[in-house]
Amino acid sequence: MIRITGLSHRILDIPDLALDARHIAVIGPNGSGKTTLLSVCSGIEEPDEGTVRLLGRPPSAVKVGWVGEFPDRTLLFSRVYDEIASTPRFRHRPCRETDERVRAAAERVGIPHLLERTVTALSGGEKALVALAAACVDDPDVLVLDEADSHLDAGTAERLRAVVEASTAAHVLWCTQSMDTAAGADYLLFMEGGAVRHHGTPEEVFARLEETCFYPTLWRVRQ
Amino acid sequence: MRVEVEDLRFSRGPFTLRGSGTFNAGVHLVSGPVGSGKSTLALLLAGLLRPGGGAIRRDGVSSALLLLQFPEHHVTSPTVAEEVRSWGLAPDDVLARANLSARANDDPFHLSRGELKRLTLACTFMRNPDLLMLDEPFSSLDCTAKRKVCRMIEERDAGITIIFSHERAVLPRVDALWEIEAGTLTPLGHVPDAIPRWRHAPPYLRYALDRGARPENIRLTDAREALCRTRG
Repeated sequence: MIRITGLSHRILDIPDLALDARHIAVIGPNGSGKTTLLSVCSGIEEPDEGTVRLLGRPPSAVKVGWVGEFPDRTLLFSRVYDEIASTPRFRHRPCRETDERVRAAAERVGIPHLLERTVTALSGGEKALVALAAACVDDPDVLVLDEADSHLDAGTAERLRAVVEASTAAHVLWCTQSMDTAAGADYLLFMEGGAVRHHGTPEEVFARLEETCFYPTLWRVRQ
Repeated sequence: MRVEVEDLRFSRGPFTLRGSGTFNAGVHLVSGPVGSGKSTLALLLAGLLRPGGGAIRRDGVSSALLLLQFPEHHVTSPTVAEEVRSWGLAPDDVLARANLSARANDDPFHLSRGELKRLTLACTFMRNPDLLMLDEPFSSLDCTAKRKVCRMIEERDAGITIIFSHERAVLPRVDALWEIEAGTLTPLGHVPDAIPRWRHAPPYLRYALDRGARPENIRLTDAREALCRTRG
């Protein structure tokens, strides 16, 4: 359960919201507060007012994996292996366990061939996959993706979706500009001007957005 | 006006990019998976990388501009207005066009990612070069902003426009399709004949093709119109 009460922070104004679904997609125009909501839900930012509870706890007490849109801004280490190993190392996992986790995460994401490479020599999409492996390496309780699919081709986006699907996270908060991707979520939040304008199943929310471009292209051609 | 790519070869580490083809006046879309060499090809066409073999020849092209995938890589000035001036443009026009007039004195890095993308796109189109290369112009934008970019691309009435993108929902009308996979650039030819050969076609277009529809172009509206014709 993700529970938001009396939240007022920067542009955000969310009086009360309770989310039970596992895979939650967050959609809406640029500047509507999607990233701010994800930051507050991840514990990256403390809200000015109100509370956020993940699984009954404050976000800082929950293992959160974060994949941002611009991996360049979050990647800390120069070698891919060290980047993926950072979370288990920061948590003082034994060396052997860290190594096993890093190799398993790289395998799941499909990048074992990149482990010894230098991060700066990777393409934009490869960096996103490294960030995904680093976010998943220590089995987060909540996985947060902030437009992580923005720079990915179809095949890589599908791999991202499969890795997210297979993760053990209790909740996945996924902000995306692909309405076709959002259509596959369990639950949808449509944000506008800092507020949650619509929420519900993809069918319920997209029914209210049919006149806009925030509508899955595949639903459009199937009509 | 054209850009000819002849037996191009460029290697970096284990990766090699190769291909041949001609970019004539009009809109070209180059699609391909992550790491396939799209951005490298853009840098080569822009003259920012030198090919290891073969040649890239420009004919009748007097100006060229590459819009980088990550808009922050363009930023060189401490304010939004000065940033526009650094492109050799008057801030008022550009900021009105990018819908950022109120942000003229802000630090470009205080803009949201979508806003910064809008700024660099507006600067690029205002410069109106003969050869315009757009590396992932749609990423970071919502569907409303993507539609505006499509309009800007379609309204360019002259010159060569080359789009490097894997966008799968909001696309402009294009003249030619190209694919790049594992470092090999392949021209698929002109639209609409090239559309059925396009392996990276977005899902809505694939859906229409699978039902025997023959879209005139690659936009969602083209797929819907073609489906209407087949459904009668």
